Amino acid sequence: MLATIVTLFLLPVAWLIATAYKPAAAMFTSPPTFLFVPTLDNFRKIGTLYDLPSLVRSSLTISIGSALLSLLIGAPCGYALARSRSRWALAIAYLFLGIRTVPAVATLLPFYLLMRDVGLLGTTAAVILIDTVLNCAFVTWMMFSYVRALPPELNEAALTDGCTLWGAFWRVDLPCVRSGLVAGALFSILFSWNDFLYASFLTRLDSKPLAVALVTAYGTYDISWGTLGALAHVALIPIVLMVVALNRFFIGGLVRGVH
Amino acid sequence: MSTLRLASRLPFETRRKLFLLTLGAPALVYVLAIGVGPVAQGVWYSLFDYSLIHPARRHFVGLGNYAALFADASFRNALLNTIVFSGAAVALEFATGLGLALLLWRDSRFNQICLALLLVPVTVTPIAVGLIFKGLLEPDFGMIGYWLAHWGWSDPRGLLGATHTSLATLVLIDIWEWTPLMALILLAGLKALPVDVLEAATADGSTLLQRFWMVILPLLLPAIFLALVLRTMDAFRVFDSIYVTTGGGPAGATDTLMMLAVKRGLQFFDIGAASAIGNTMILCLALIASLFVLLIRRADRLANGR
Amino acid sequence: MTKRKPAVGLLALTALLVPSGVFAQAKPYAGITLALASQNDQFAPVLAKLAPQFEAATGAIVKVDIMDYGTLLTKTTADFVGHTKGYDLVTMDIVWSGAFAENGYTVDLTNWIKRDAAEIDTGDIYPVLMQSLGGFAGKQMAFPFAGYANVLAYRKDLYAAASLTPPKTMEELVTDAVKLTDPAKHTFGFVANGKTGPAGAQDWMQYNSQMGGSIVDAAGKPVINSAANVESLNVYKELFAKAAPPGAADYDWDGREQSFRNGTVATMETWSVGAPGYYDPKQSKVVDTVAIEAAPSAKGLPPRYGVGGWGMAINADSDPKKQEAAWAFIKWLTSPEIHKQFNLEGAGSFLRRSEMTDKDLLAKFPFLPVIATTFENGNGDYRPRIPQYPEIQDLLGTAVNAVLVGSADPKAALDEVQAKAEKLF
Repeated sequence: MLATIVTLFLLPVAWLIATAYKPAAAMFTSPPTFLFVPTLDNFRKIGTLYDLPSLVRSSLTISIGSALLSLLIGAPCGYALARSRSRWALAIAYLFLGIRTVPAVATLLPFYLLMRDVGLLGTTAAVILIDTVLNCAFVTWMMFSYVRALPPELNEAALTDGCTLWGAFWRVDLPCVRSGLVAGALFSILFSWNDFLYASFLTRLDSKPLAVALVTAYGTYDISWGTLGALAHVALIPIVLMVVALNRFFIGGLVRGVH
Repeated sequence: MSTLRLASRLPFETRRKLFLLTLGAPALVYVLAIGVGPVAQGVWYSLFDYSLIHPARRHFVGLGNYAALFADASFRNALLNTIVFSGAAVALEFATGLGLALLLWRDSRFNQICLALLLVPVTVTPIAVGLIFKGLLEPDFGMIGYWLAHWGWSDPRGLLGATHTSLATLVLIDIWEWTPLMALILLAGLKALPVDVLEAATADGSTLLQRFWMVILPLLLPAIFLALVLRTMDAFRVFDSIYVTTGGGPAGATDTLMMLAVKRGLQFFDIGAASAIGNTMILCLALIASLFVLLIRRADRLANGR
Repeated sequence: MTKRKPAVGLLALTALLVPSGVFAQAKPYAGITLALASQNDQFAPVLAKLAPQFEAATGAIVKVDIMDYGTLLTKTTADFVGHTKGYDLVTMDIVWSGAFAENGYTVDLTNWIKRDAAEIDTGDIYPVLMQSLGGFAGKQMAFPFAGYANVLAYRKDLYAAASLTPPKTMEELVTDAVKLTDPAKHTFGFVANGKTGPAGAQDWMQYNSQMGGSIVDAAGKPVINSAANVESLNVYKELFAKAAPPGAADYDWDGREQSFRNGTVATMETWSVGAPGYYDPKQSKVVDTVAIEAAPSAKGLPPRYGVGGWGMAINADSDPKKQEAAWAFIKWLTSPEIHKQFNLEGAGSFLRRSEMTDKDLLAKFPFLPVIATTFENGNGDYRPRIPQYPEIQDLLGTAVNAVLVGSADPKAALDEVQAKAEKLF
């Protein structure tokens, strides 16, 4: 039963991947055919239509950049909120969770004009900065949960042993939540890699990531599912493989997120 | 140096507070400035007739934008669609996700592999998910759509093309995409349940259903809360999959608030109206979130006597 | 400027003899990079392919950013209203002329065209293209580079099998389409875009014009619910119900084109830019059976040939030096020689009279005389190129789609659009 369910969840993706090997003429037959002579034409075509190295570079820069920045500011914040005894800490933690409710349209236009004024429009940096709002909020929330699950005695013992506050944070507590950091990075990378709306609005030719190119592949006169399938090899397979390979951390992140 | 020495002379508790504040401030300032700031600005803009295309026309209209929205049938339609979509998607994802989580609960090699593979839909770019289903369900050439139409199981226009099935089909696509995430959050909750409580419940001879209802579900409440809140927030803002499949059609049957807001804001650059739609969405979500908090608290009190 | 070519040749020669410092001088725009925002039509990859040639000739690098229609409109408008100078060159859809002119988004090219008229050979360019692909209220907001003719594509074999001749009037088109439809064989008489948004709105406006309707009156005010329009929408609805593939109400351009190329459909009106695709055996099953004709009009009406396509516009915010280079690019791209090459590479974007009789082009594209007829007699205003067009198109897209799927009555739907449209003026 489980196997059937998992297959159901995988088949549509398999279809998209398979279309990459379908010749253009076999794509639109009625009734649809399952059998076709595989071709590599579509891969040749995306090679001429897109600057693939640039697309991959932008996607990597945006997702890794945003993940690093989110960890840099989000992780300490989540830690501080978890360890703070202030009544406000919980409220602020919920604020970080609630930032997800803000629709992209609300932030995009003011952010667009801000990026113009600081001269970052059309760069991957602009996308990194706006993705980081959501990503660092999520990392903060996650670290908040991880650190709360951590016994405070560790930290207190370190302090008694003469550790500085920073030392106790950096050398004692942080290593304990290493898997939380990995999970946070993973969620950030996933979000940024897949984001379409922010990236499509803020990037230009040189900074365009793969998710945006996927929609361009969907042209007006010549949507070819084949081109799309071929592009999907580059856009989907790396991220899917990464998450599936690191699923332990991904799921671990969810376990903590719950408490 | 002198500030450092000064700091070290402060009492420990004050230093600790300062330290935590320093750690926490960057993220908080960042999110407030770039995430919350524009929302506040948006509240202000929503009180103006303000279009970037006709900047000269800008003037204060009070709640005029909101009044115009609620007087507009297409907005009311989009609001209703959004509520129906999120309600149906989240409820069904919760039911199937919980079932899936229970199936996956037992730790085995096979289950672990299934778990890893279930992450695939969650990982696939939402834009691609929309395009995949558009291709599959197309009634004239689609691998699934053709046969559904051929055998008369769907309208001849196809599942996405007929007004009475299009929204439901988008719910199904959303379920395909997000049930695994729901299942994983709930599974995470299940795995974190205290073993001794479960063993005690098994020992006192209660049936499986009783155990599920009386012991497991109450303990699972925090996970359920998180899963529902996260998914509702995301479902309410659904955009990518609709944008590339129906574009809001047929006949507005799949128009949602986010589609409308993107159209008004990023196509016509009507900042006033787009902000008003955005604010309505935030307000709705705040209401829903508080409702969830109330319900979960109540359930928690009833079940766990807390 | 007029003597550019020999000069470039000469300087290229000198470049072989003298060090590169002097060579840079030979290229007047060396060091300049132009960003071009292009619609993802057939011409886009060709633009990208030709750009290095322009660089070799002038030193200016042209980077072509290819986008879908919605993204292009959003990103270029954002660029204009935010004065962000992201793009120097923008492909402009015929219907954006009014909005561009009203807001001064792009450079008015009138004086430059006058100045360089001899070099451009303006007489060779179809007046309808010059006037509609960028001309608006005495200004020239873009320079035409991709003229599309609305043509009728039909299947010779299916018409012959039913002993029919290709339709000469809209009435014939409708009756023939119904006769040629046989759902059991999965053959349909007709196809058009029905999808919400620009796709559905634009196709209906085309048919509406051929059936004698009009979106605005002589004074430029909307008359969307006129009796003629309501009647034409009624016929259109019938046509969809009786003769189009069931999925057509949800088609945009790609679905429509695919259904024709894969042989399901007997008749389709389309932009000439798609036509080369029907003759390409790699993507078409109708290579030997397709024919292209001028589009019909209602009985008793003078022919209403639709003209559309794209102009190339220069961002008004760009630096003067870049604007100058951009203008050089436009002149280069539309020059007889390069534009011919552009089309031989499959851009499907015609512009000049001389192209219609060119031997090489005719050999590749046998339907050029049909395009010539359309350009000679055509009109680009059946979709009103007024500043309010984008909103009207959006309203119409929703209304037409609602009518086609049976959720709204034609009269009521158009009444509602009219009421909303009046508020825009």
